[in-house]
Amino acid sequence: MNPATLRKVIETKLPLAFAVYERKDYGRVPTGIAKIDNLVSGVPLRALTEICGSSLASSGKTSVLVSLLSRATKGRYCALIDAGDSFDLASGRAAGIDFSRFLWVRCGRTIKLPPLEQAFKVADTLLQSNGFGLIAVDIGSLPEKVVRRIPLSTWFRFSRVVEKQSSALVFVEQESHAASCAGLVVRVQAQPSSLSGKLFSSLNLNVEIVRDRMKKPVRSTSEFSFQTQRV
Amino acid sequence: MFACLYLPDFPCQAALIAQYADAQGRSRYHPAAVLDGPKNLQRVFALNDAARKIGIKLGMTKLQVEACSEIWLFKRAAKHEASAHAQLFECADAFSPRVESTHPGTVLLDLSGTEKLFGSLENTAAKLLRDAESGGFVSHVAIASNPDTAQYAARGFSGITVVPIGEEALTLSRLSVALLPMAAEVLETLEGWGIHTFKALAGLPEGALITRLGQAGLHLQRLAQGRVIRPLLPVEPAQRFVETYKFDDPIETLESLTFVLDRLLQQLCTKLRVHSLATRELRLTLQLEVRQHNDAGNGEQYRHSWKLPFPAQDKNVLFNLIRLDLQKHTFSAPIKTVIIEALPIKPRFAQANLFAPPSPEAEKIEITLARIRGIVGSTDLNAISCVGTPKIADTHKPDSFTLEAFSTTNASVAELATMTPYTLRMFRPAMETTVKLSGATPHLVRLWSKHRRVIAASGPWCSSGDWWNKAMAWEREEWDVALKTQAGVGLYRIYFDRIYSRWFLEGMFD
Repeated sequence: MNPATLRKVIETKLPLAFAVYERKDYGRVPTGIAKIDNLVSGVPLRALTEICGSSLASSGKTSVLVSLLSRATKGRYCALIDAGDSFDLASGRAAGIDFSRFLWVRCGRTIKLPPLEQAFKVADTLLQSNGFGLIAVDIGSLPEKVVRRIPLSTWFRFSRVVEKQSSALVFVEQESHAASCAGLVVRVQAQPSSLSGKLFSSLNLNVEIVRDRMKKPVRSTSEFSFQTQRV
Repeated sequence: MFACLYLPDFPCQAALIAQYADAQGRSRYHPAAVLDGPKNLQRVFALNDAARKIGIKLGMTKLQVEACSEIWLFKRAAKHEASAHAQLFECADAFSPRVESTHPGTVLLDLSGTEKLFGSLENTAAKLLRDAESGGFVSHVAIASNPDTAQYAARGFSGITVVPIGEEALTLSRLSVALLPMAAEVLETLEGWGIHTFKALAGLPEGALITRLGQAGLHLQRLAQGRVIRPLLPVEPAQRFVETYKFDDPIETLESLTFVLDRLLQQLCTKLRVHSLATRELRLTLQLEVRQHNDAGNGEQYRHSWKLPFPAQDKNVLFNLIRLDLQKHTFSAPIKTVIIEALPIKPRFAQANLFAPPSPEAEKIEITLARIRGIVGSTDLNAISCVGTPKIADTHKPDSFTLEAFSTTNASVAELATMTPYTLRMFRPAMETTVKLSGATPHLVRLWSKHRRVIAASGPWCSSGDWWNKAMAWEREEWDVALKTQAGVGLYRIYFDRIYSRWFLEGMFD
């Protein structure tokens, strides 16, 4: 049996066996950082995004998240699942997060369930509830060896669930774990660029787009200065 | 048709009823008066016919009245009047479901559809009068085609009066205009014109009356003619939405409890829907078989209430809220009775806004939040809520905040920041650390069990507060330091607690 005949036989039995699964761009939520928005136009809706950066050195991943939340809360209800209870309200307010449209879930230490498991369960519950434009899960404070144990099937399930919702699902981590399940992977790294007197006046943020499902080629980097202020 | 049950000299009757349970006996024919006013200047406020007969008049002082030895004197008491009025209302309530509490001592009844129950209008009036008399009251009853005519007929004529349809003006014609609700100046004006009766007022030309007394004058004339038709304002009895279930044998499992709860909530929600109401607060009481030692304050009961951010009448929403909460509790004794109460409120009718951002459904989000609380816990070790909308506390103390209930109805508009600040990633609680100083500046900081060299430091930033309260006082010196780590440079905020003389790592700029 030649390949064409074999293909026909299979297609008669399984019509979708050779169908190409097309992914549409359902729009993006701008991050509020012009250089990132110029590269990828923001965080994709109906897809899983990972923002990665070191937990030991200042990388700027939390600043990107806060900037994203400040833009997203202008037109959407947003939720932050904070596995390490590390969100700073003063920074959030200074960035302009609209707290009236913001749900903060602090994964507690009073429950026997590990924080990572709590965060994933809450993310699942919020995704099912529908109505949040952006759901951010901050697991950047958790030890990398714990996060690495998450099976790929969990990431796959999240990516398939979020595809059916009109939300953007964002994970803040130290390293990327979702592999091909992620619609966008951004790696950030920061270096203090100048010290003005006794104060850090600015930082250089190095952004690397590791993966973007909708835009190729993917490996693009941009370096720009991030101004600092005490809040 | 409308009936009016009127008690003449109401304060006096109320005092007599309160004093003498057998007021229907000889006491009702005994001279009695009610005094009111300041203690040293009490005057007659109300009196009965027997008192009038012996020459007592309204406004007489206590001293003047006491000259008459046979009179009974009472001090006016609001509680006696309220009790007598409630008794009168109860009497009227037995005749019609629509009863208006018009004034103290006056009630109006809607008699529509009661003919088959009580017979002709005269019979109904007679029964009404008899019932009021059995309660110890001397009353007047009048029946007319509109509430106001019935009221003035009852106030003006003793015994039973049935005003035929179309003869309202004729029946009321003999009554004094003083019965009408008007200011003293208007009454004085009418008397100045020689208008003393309803008939005289009814006969005045409309246009001239409006010119002189305005629309209020026209309304008075219509009342005198018996032509004012207004809807009755019946008193709605306060309704309680409570469902109770007593188990034959006390139950121990959640399944049995939820099975009953589901049924009770179904009944409760049906009742609410029938009354076009919803609930915003649900109260659950579980009576336990023996004393629950864990919760001494509640004794043998477990009580919990749920305050909803929206009026709900959906059984499933309420049931899920209760079920999710009960799953977290364990009871030390079996449950013998379940009482569930819904506090009624008008349901929400909100028009969808095309321009509003998509938001989670109010009913759905409450269940979602209850589920999340089940996963992460309700509060942390400092009793601050774990789920909600953050609110920065009104204090200068760093990292002071509360979490309020998340709601999709109170969204506001916040201004965007012109510059994104470099964000702090908090360590909660702050991690204690050791810092080696070079002069007054940090030189080495212990981070993740290793001493890291400080590349640059800015500070100290001194702050303090609550110094007037020793238990709450805080005083700190903040430093922003750049530490060299194997992953690169880390910018950290450290502070020295001057009260406890210890160094802490507060967070990392990230």
